[in-house]
Amino acid sequence: MAAERLARILAHLTAASAGAQTPGPMCQVAAEIVDVSGAGIMVLSGDVPQASLCTTGTVSALIEELQYTMGEGPCIDAHRTGTAVSEPDLGAPLTSRWPAFTPPALDAGVRAVFGFPLRLGAARVGALNLFRDRPGRLSDDQHANALVVADVIARTILTFQAHDGQWPGPSGFEADIHAVVHQAAGMVSSQLDISVGDALARLRAHAFATGRRLAEVAEDVVERRLHFDDLDRH
Amino acid sequence: MITDESLLLRTLVELADNLVDDFDVVELLTHLAYSSVKVLDVTAAGVMLVAPSGALQVVASSSDAMRVLELYELQADEGPCVDCYRTGEPVVNLDLGSSPKWPLFASVALAAGFRSVHALPLRLRGRTMGALNMFGASPGALGPDAAAAGQALADVATIAIIQHQVTLDAQTLNLQLSQALNSRIAIEQAKGKISQASGLDMDLAFKRLRAHARNHNLHLSQLAADVAGGAVRPDSLDRLG
Repeated sequence: MAAERLARILAHLTAASAGAQTPGPMCQVAAEIVDVSGAGIMVLSGDVPQASLCTTGTVSALIEELQYTMGEGPCIDAHRTGTAVSEPDLGAPLTSRWPAFTPPALDAGVRAVFGFPLRLGAARVGALNLFRDRPGRLSDDQHANALVVADVIARTILTFQAHDGQWPGPSGFEADIHAVVHQAAGMVSSQLDISVGDALARLRAHAFATGRRLAEVAEDVVERRLHFDDLDRH
Repeated sequence: MITDESLLLRTLVELADNLVDDFDVVELLTHLAYSSVKVLDVTAAGVMLVAPSGALQVVASSSDAMRVLELYELQADEGPCVDCYRTGEPVVNLDLGSSPKWPLFASVALAAGFRSVHALPLRLRGRTMGALNMFGASPGALGPDAAAAGQALADVATIAIIQHQVTLDAQTLNLQLSQALNSRIAIEQAKGKISQASGLDMDLAFKRLRAHARNHNLHLSQLAADVAGGAVRPDSLDRLG
C-alpha cells in the first residue's frame, strides 16, 4: 500500500472512535496525530459559521468562539482562501493580522495557531484548527499529517451530514478518490439545485440507505440510470 | 520512436512559454498530457501526483473517458506508477499481455485496448513527486529516443509543479500538490454540472470547460471552481465548435 500515512491515520481514528456516539473523538485524535496542544473543527457554509463539531478543551473552544464572534482568525482565512494558514509565533507575528482575535487568544495561552481548510474541490465545509502553547512551526511530518487529517475530516463531515447529524461510527471514515463520485456530485447538484457539498452528502445518504458502494451509486448517476430529481418527486 | 523531432522541440518551447509568472499548473499539466500523446505516439497519457497521504492520484489526463481515468485510479496503491514513484526510475515498455505483477490493473488496461504502459518519474533534486503515465496500443513501442523525449516532458511537469520555489521546501510542495489535486476534484465536479446541463459526456464536458477557459483567457482551475461552486452557470460556457 502506497498510502502509509493515510492508513496509519485511519487506523488511529477508527480505534479512537470505536463505540463513540458522536464525532467528538476526532478532535482529540487530530491533536494526537499532529502532536499539538489542542484541536477544533469548525463547520462553515459559504462565509457563515455553522457550528463547532468538536474541540479538545476550553482553549480550543475559545479559539473557535473568538473566530465566530470576530469573523477573523486562522480558520476563517483557511476556509476563505482554501489553503493552509500558519502563524507559528502569535506573540511576535511576521505579518500583523487578526487584530481582534490575537490579544484574547494570547491571554488564553495560545502561542502558535494553524488553520487547515476542509474541502473537496469546490465543496468547502469548514476548517481544522490546531494550536500550541509554545511558539514554533510544524515539522514537515506534522504538516503532512495535518493535511491528511483535514482531508479525512472533510469527508467525515459529509458522512455526518448524510446521516442527518447521527454519527455512524468508524464506518463513516472513508477516503475514496474516484473521479466518478465528484462527477456525480456535480450532476446531482444541478438536478436538485443544491451545492456540490450537499450533493456529495446526498450521494452518501443514498449509498447508505440502499447498502451500496458510493462509487456504484455515482456510476449510476453518471450513466443516467439514477436521477435524484426523480427520487425527490417520488 | 519519435515521429517528428521538430514537433518535440516546438512542444518544449510552447510549454516553456507557458511557465510565466501567473500560470495554472493543472492547465499546463493537461497541455503536457495531450502533447505527450502527440509527440510520443502513445494512445493516452496522464500526470499522477503523490498526495500528502502517500497515494498517487491523477491530476491531468489526455482523455476524460471513464475507462482511462479508472486506470489511473487503480494505480493509487500499486502498479507501474507506484514502482516508478518508489524507485525514482522509469518503467518503460511494460507488456500488459505478460505482466502478472498487477493482474487487476493489467486486465482492465487490456480490456480498454492498451498493450503497453510506461511511467516516467517527476523528479528533482532527489525528490520524486509523481509520474508521467502513458499507455500504448502496441507492445514495446517506446524506443530509447522517445523515452528520453518523454523524460524531458516529465521534467517540464516537475518544474511546473514546484513553480517558483528556489529551494524545495517540503511543506510548500505538499501544499502545491494538495492544491493541484483539489483543483482536479473541482474539475470533476464542474464536468458533472456541464454534463447535466448539456447532455454532453464527461470527455466533451471537459473539452467545453477547457475551450471556454482558453477563449476567455481564464485559468482552468479557477473556472472549474466557479462552475462547480455555482458562480458561473454551466450553460453560459461557450459551446464547442
